[in-house]
Amino acid sequence: MATVGYDGVVIAGVGQTRYEKRSEKTIQRVLWEALDAALSSARFPMRRVDGLAVTAFVLPPDNVTIVAEHFGLEPRWLSQGAYGGASGIIAMLQAARAIQAGDADVVACLTADVFDVAAHMDLMDRFNSSVRDYLGPYGFGGPNGIFALHTRLYMDRYGATREDFGAQAIAQRRNALLNPNALFKTPLTMEEYLNARPIAYPLGLYDCVMPCAGGDCVILAREDLVSAGSGRKVRILGGGETHNFPVEDVFSLRGGWERFRDRMYEQAGIGPSDMDFVQLYDDYLVMEFVQLESLGFCPPGTAAEFLRKRDTTVSGNFPINTGGGQLSAGQAGASGGMIGVVEAVLQLRGEAGARQVRPRRGLVSGYGMVAYGRGLSCSAAVLAGE
Amino acid sequence: MTAKPSPHLTPINEPFLRGCNQNEFWLQRCALATCRKFVFYPRVCCPHCGAGTLTWERATGHGQIVSFSLVSRPQHDSFFPEAPFYFIAVRLEEGPLFFSRLHHQDIPTEINLIGREVRALFVQHTPEQRLPHFQLADPL
Repeated sequence: MATVGYDGVVIAGVGQTRYEKRSEKTIQRVLWEALDAALSSARFPMRRVDGLAVTAFVLPPDNVTIVAEHFGLEPRWLSQGAYGGASGIIAMLQAARAIQAGDADVVACLTADVFDVAAHMDLMDRFNSSVRDYLGPYGFGGPNGIFALHTRLYMDRYGATREDFGAQAIAQRRNALLNPNALFKTPLTMEEYLNARPIAYPLGLYDCVMPCAGGDCVILAREDLVSAGSGRKVRILGGGETHNFPVEDVFSLRGGWERFRDRMYEQAGIGPSDMDFVQLYDDYLVMEFVQLESLGFCPPGTAAEFLRKRDTTVSGNFPINTGGGQLSAGQAGASGGMIGVVEAVLQLRGEAGARQVRPRRGLVSGYGMVAYGRGLSCSAAVLAGE
Repeated sequence: MTAKPSPHLTPINEPFLRGCNQNEFWLQRCALATCRKFVFYPRVCCPHCGAGTLTWERATGHGQIVSFSLVSRPQHDSFFPEAPFYFIAVRLEEGPLFFSRLHHQDIPTEINLIGREVRALFVQHTPEQRLPHFQLADPL
């Protein structure tokens, strides 16, 4: 079956709020701040927005429709992400389809959350009915406990070591030191990584993201509506999503990306070796390894060896998570699924400041909706600059 | 101290939870002759074939550890006094995956528990509900 690309749609701008360890702001305010920043970047007035996608765990009892009312928008297309950290990219891909079909002209894809450790753990205890009824009663430790199991199994099956995971955590921290909005401000050493406070063996403190407050926004628009002065246009060359794959196989150590990656690369007309950077979903380092394998950068089980031969900092030959990722910038809940897109677009527009690499195209990836022992949803997209 | 989080009793999981209170391990099983697979967590239809008839069968409570983690930071305050403890994934003899806790806490993390045989034992989780934990079938 032929695949249809994303012609006629561009990413016209991006915005990110300040990331903060604690905040008194309401979720609605953080969402607005992200939207406002992105609209400035795209040079669109608020009333040009006729499509809105929102993902935010702490939004209930409100929803995307109430956000539209709160902001005074009159959208003709709405979407609310139910796929955790895969939602940001999925919203972007679905918004692009809506624009192509004429159902909207300018869509704001928004993610935000106002979290701290306690709020994060409380949410995770009752995230969905399978977590609440069949994991929570055993003190599973939240996502840390689940991904500790995946990490330990990955180590057992493929021979990866704590040092392999630590090297990637350290590289991302080096990238974060060049990102003024990253929450972590000091370098990470291997000794600190290995001797960190245990959270859920084999995971220590620096294997786990820091829940925080913040928001991210990507503006997609019909290409002919974008003004000349709004910065370089970024295009979606290909993308995909998949859920609950492989079915009833929680510990496959695959995330599902292999189900659509060939189609995505075919749409894009380029493959893994053509990427100038990769923004991986880094809720846990083991999932970065799994993504590299599932997205076709290296065969299953070989990510540790692949990474040992590469420098993944912004000055290296294979930059990963050029802004520090969630592990070093912070995980603002659902915004963890958009932080990589915003970083990718900043890089492709040449607006990444001290951490700027010289990219023509790159890959972004999302993952989430932790349920019975794994994340159920994954997504990815190939983006290109002008 | 707040109460421990406990499974919500529903018409779908009631046979499992009632079984636990009688120290018995019950699983759903697909009634379709061409499937007959065991199912956990409890569902309204078979996730293997989509059939709408699932029966309940008494299971052995035997299985193998798929992976393990020593949890120092549980997700809920009520578990803090017991931490650290081993959170484990068990492949039940009948096929389904079951998440639980290992009864033993004093095993060094250097010992690889993957593949070890385990047996269910039932602990009083809350005053109303017993739940299965697991113990090693053979001494280390």
